[in-house]
Amino acid sequence: MVILLLMVFLAGAQSPQRARETAPAPEEKQLSVYGPRVSYFLPVSERNGQDYVALLEALEPFGNVSAGVDGQKWKLHFGKLEAEFRRKASAGKVAGKKFELPAPFLLEGDRGLVPLRALPAILGRMLGTKTDYHEAARRLFLGGAGTHFTTDPRENEVILNFTAPVNPLISTEPGKLKMTFTRDPVVAGSYVLRLENPLVSSVTFAESNGRGELTLLGRLPLLAQFAPGGKTIDIVAAPRQAQSFPPSTPPSPPAGAPPEAAPATVETPPVTVPAPPTLQSLTAKPPFVVMLDAGHGGDDPGALLSETLEEKAVTLAFARRLRNELQTRGVSVVMARDADVTVPVEQRAAMADAERVAIFVSLHAAAEGRGVRVYSAMINSATPTPGGFVPWETAQAGQVLTSRALADLVKVELARHEIPTAELPAPLQPLNNVAAAAIAVEILPSGNDVGSVNAGVYQQRVAAAVAEGIAVGRPRVEAQR
Amino acid sequence: MTRVLTAAAVLLLVAVFAMGVYLQVLRRNERQRAQSVPDTRPISAPVVGPPSRVTLYLAYDDPGVVRAQDVTVALPEDPALRGREILHVLLGEYVKRPSSHELPAGADVTDVYLVNGNMAVVDMTPAFADGHRSGILVETLTVASLVKTLTANLPGVTKVKILVDGKERETLAGHADLEGFYDVVALEPLLEQLQ
Repeated sequence: MVILLLMVFLAGAQSPQRARETAPAPEEKQLSVYGPRVSYFLPVSERNGQDYVALLEALEPFGNVSAGVDGQKWKLHFGKLEAEFRRKASAGKVAGKKFELPAPFLLEGDRGLVPLRALPAILGRMLGTKTDYHEAARRLFLGGAGTHFTTDPRENEVILNFTAPVNPLISTEPGKLKMTFTRDPVVAGSYVLRLENPLVSSVTFAESNGRGELTLLGRLPLLAQFAPGGKTIDIVAAPRQAQSFPPSTPPSPPAGAPPEAAPATVETPPVTVPAPPTLQSLTAKPPFVVMLDAGHGGDDPGALLSETLEEKAVTLAFARRLRNELQTRGVSVVMARDADVTVPVEQRAAMADAERVAIFVSLHAAAEGRGVRVYSAMINSATPTPGGFVPWETAQAGQVLTSRALADLVKVELARHEIPTAELPAPLQPLNNVAAAAIAVEILPSGNDVGSVNAGVYQQRVAAAVAEGIAVGRPRVEAQR
Repeated sequence: MTRVLTAAAVLLLVAVFAMGVYLQVLRRNERQRAQSVPDTRPISAPVVGPPSRVTLYLAYDDPGVVRAQDVTVALPEDPALRGREILHVLLGEYVKRPSSHELPAGADVTDVYLVNGNMAVVDMTPAFADGHRSGILVETLTVASLVKTLTANLPGVTKVKILVDGKERETLAGHADLEGFYDVVALEPLLEQLQ
């Protein structure tokens, strides 16, 4: 069996990046929609205590759809079908028939928002398909979509067999191995399986905020191995020599001190406080982590893209989508900000340098233009000085060629996804101060409507292309570190 | 008596409402007047000199390019004053309406200082940065246009530092770096892309 995914260990302490990543503000609400051929997320907005979603964005992945405002009416055209709602009215028409909404229809600019609870019925009627909505978890399954699994415990392994290929995000907490399914329509109801197994004591499946999570409680450090085809995941004991992840060497005991006792049992998780850095740990190659810097935030709104849309909101939503896309590709992500807070520009670069991230991606948005622009620093390249100090003003100089190569790869992926794109250097803060491969991605509207820059489906498409470009560029960046 | 009081109250309410409407109209007119009148206050004494041919590198928002354009202007002998006048002419293209790359009214250069013969320090008016549109490309176009125009017309100048109202500023309008020096060599790859 070929190992295709990162090894994770129950005994390993959480890296500082991950610890910080989970700390900030409450998670953005989202709805996952799974169809037979397409899966996507939609941001969920709260209005007057009710959850709402944009109807146009919900239908976009299924074909040509358009909408327009006519006085107090909002009309949507999807193929030969129409939907029509009035501002603040609780009834409308869907596919020629009257439709009752559980809460008033909202019109924000030209975006029509329907109550989330009504969406399954609307999609069912417009698409002519049956729907299965898991309301508490905000997961909507269309046309019988769903991937099921079985658990096969054996003497030295536990095999998970899925009915379709899956690509979960693997993460760990002390005593747990967790698989998070974002794009895969994995379903199992309320699933708890207790095992008399030397490796795994229980397997639990639960759903929340548009995701499914499979949690394995272990008796030993665990390793997840993917079989070719992606339909089988083999859970085995992790080899002991690999348990030093993250790569830091504990300090040597002082002379005369008693030798440390060997761990009494493997069930006792080690202390999660990271060891102080040693010369060896500082010079070791750090793990591959991407920092996403959602531009602006807090007191700094950035550009005003429309009367109601600020750049800081677009960049944060886009950063969260890009984080999901990167994580589904097995890339660790740390966010410079994960809430509407003020973070000085210099502090963002300082965080990236302190964390020794592999790639820094600054995210911005603009109203003029179409598609996406990718930038690298406007600085003369210089040969890096290994072990030497790096001047703050020109920290990027030793990395700029790698940054430009990465920007090229991201541009290629965007073009491959048929997203108009341009790539150029720019004097953008704080790229010059980052001592790692650093690029900026500026998302622009997809058409004439400036609001499209904040549309969930469009952002998702751009995020997938950018994440793919970063994944393709990873070997090159790794080679330069 | 009650009828008289009611009528008086209604009249007063109507008067208050009418005054409110009138106030809004006055405010709107004043706003429009302020926007339509260009800021023509001189920020420096006029200079005199023989007509000289200079190259302006003009930014065009659509399609996001910088193009060279030769113009003839009267320029003094002193290099720093020449630099100021050249930038003044360049910015004049941007504050007029319509413009290929609109800058706010009042955007101008206050002074240009030459340091060691190879570095120019440019001091801009507060309006230049305060009213500048925010965006990576639009700010980059402004900076590229300024720096290239200055360095192309002042032989020996290879670095440019931009100040606003005599002070260093972090960014132009949220994106373009104004803390560091602009190096003409580092600028060239960008200008090639902006052709």
